[in-house]
Amino acid sequence: MNPLTLSAAADAAPFLRSRWEPAEVTFAQAAALLPPLAVVLLAGGGAQALLLATSLAVTFFWETLFALLRGRAWSWHGVTTALVVAVMVPAGAPLWQLALALSLGVVLGELIFGGRGFGFLAAGVVALAFLRFSFAAIPFAGDSGAVAMATLPGAALLLYLRLISWRVALAALLGFAAASLATGQPLDPGPTGASLAFGLVFLICDPFGAASTNAGRWLYGALAGGLAVAFDTAPGAAVAPEAIVFAALLASIFAPLLDHAAVLVIARIRRRRHG
Amino acid sequence: MSLLRHVTAPLIANNPVTLQILGICSALAVTTSLATALTMSIALTAVLCASAAIISAIRNHIPASIRLIVQITIVAALVVVIDEFLKAYAFEISGRLSIFVGLIVTNCLVLGRAEGFAMHNPVLPSVLDGLGNGLGYSLILLVVGAIRELLGAGTLFGQSVLRTTAEGGWFEPLGLMALAPSAFFILGLLVWAIRSWWTVQNEAPDFALRTAPEAPRQ
Repeated sequence: MNPLTLSAAADAAPFLRSRWEPAEVTFAQAAALLPPLAVVLLAGGGAQALLLATSLAVTFFWETLFALLRGRAWSWHGVTTALVVAVMVPAGAPLWQLALALSLGVVLGELIFGGRGFGFLAAGVVALAFLRFSFAAIPFAGDSGAVAMATLPGAALLLYLRLISWRVALAALLGFAAASLATGQPLDPGPTGASLAFGLVFLICDPFGAASTNAGRWLYGALAGGLAVAFDTAPGAAVAPEAIVFAALLASIFAPLLDHAAVLVIARIRRRRHG
Repeated sequence: MSLLRHVTAPLIANNPVTLQILGICSALAVTTSLATALTMSIALTAVLCASAAIISAIRNHIPASIRLIVQITIVAALVVVIDEFLKAYAFEISGRLSIFVGLIVTNCLVLGRAEGFAMHNPVLPSVLDGLGNGLGYSLILLVVGAIRELLGAGTLFGQSVLRTTAEGGWFEPLGLMALAPSAFFILGLLVWAIRSWWTVQNEAPDFALRTAPEAPRQ
C-alpha cells in the first residue's frame, strides 16, 4: 500500500493524485541505473555479477517475506536498492557481509516503516552505511570516470521524468562548491565531478530520502553537499564515495525537519499576506 | 501471591525499558560487553530496591513540596555507596563503567518507581516492585549486552565463543556492534519482537492509514 498506489486508486477528494504507479517509478530508476551497472559489470566480470545476483536475491527475499507477513502486494522496490549497492560495492567483497548489510538496510531503512514511500531514508544509503560501519575493510567503488559518464543518461532521464529534483542536485553542487572554497579543498571539475556523479544522482537525490518541499530541497541539497566536503578526509580533488554516503544519510535524517520548517514558514507568510 | 506480581509484571509485560522506554541512556552506554552490563544491572537493581525501601518507609513524613529533592538525595546517597563499593572491590569494571554508575541518580527508572510506586505503597510491595523493575531492566541489558559482545567481539564474558579472524578463526567481528547505534537497533528489534508476541502492548497509531474508498463504477 504505497502512497502512490493509494493515490492512483482513489478518486475521492482527500487523496493526492499521481500519474505514477509505484512499479513504474522503480522501473524508471532501474533503467537509469543500467548504464553504470553495465560499466561495473564489464570491469568486474563474474565476481561483480555474483555480487549483483546476491544483492537481488537478498532484496527479493525481504520484499517477499514482508509482503507475506503484512498481506500486501509484492513490490519491485528492492531492485533499485540492489542495483545501487551492486554499483557501489567492488567485486571481491565477502558476499555474506554484503548480504547482512543489505538486509539491515532494506529492513531497517525501508520495510520496517511499511515500505518505500513511508520511511524517510533511502534503503541503499542505509545499507552502504551499515557496510562501512561494520566492515570497514571493504572500499567503496562507483567513483570512476566511466561510471560517472554512464550516470549521465540516467540522470537526464530521471530529471526529465522529474523523479529526481533539479533543485536538490543544483543545491548539492552549490553547497559542495561553497564548502570546498570555504575549507580550501582543491576543486577540479574533472576528478571532483567524476567522483561525485553517481552518489549525487542515486544517493543524495534519491526521491525518498530527499526533502519534498521546494525550500526544503534547496536546504537539503546544500546540507548534503556541504557535509560531503566535511566528511571527505582523503586528499586531492576527488571525493571519497563513503563521504557521499554519510552526507546523504545525515542530510536525509534532517530532511523531514527541513520540510516541516519550510511548511511552517510558508504558512506564516501566507497568513500574514492573506490575513 | 499477589505480592509476587510486583516482581513478575515488570519482567516483560510491563518492562521498564521496552514498554516504558526508561533507562535507555545507560542501556546504550554499558552494553558493549556482558560484564559491564551485568555489573550495571546489579548496581541499578540494588539502588532501586534500597531506595524503594527507604522512601516507602518515610513516605508519610516527606513534605509533598520537596519530595523530589528528598528522593534524589536518598538515591544519590545510595549511588555514592555503590560507586565506592565498586571502586573498592571491582576497580577494573568500575573504570569501564566510568560515569554511568554515578548517572544512576538521573536514571528515569529509579526516580519513576520512587515517585510512582514507593511514595504510595508499604515497604514490602515497594521493595518487590523495585526488584521486579530492576530485574526487567537487567533482562534487557543482558540480552542486548550478549548480542553486542557476541557479534562485536566474538566473546561472551570475555571468553572466546566465535573465533575471530584476528585469532585465526573465521568470524569477522561487526564493527557496528561496538558503537552505540547498534544498541538502538537491537532495542528496537526487541521491542518489535515483544510487541509482535504480546500484541496488547501495541499502541494505537497517531495517524491511521486512510484507505481509499471503492472507485465508483463507470
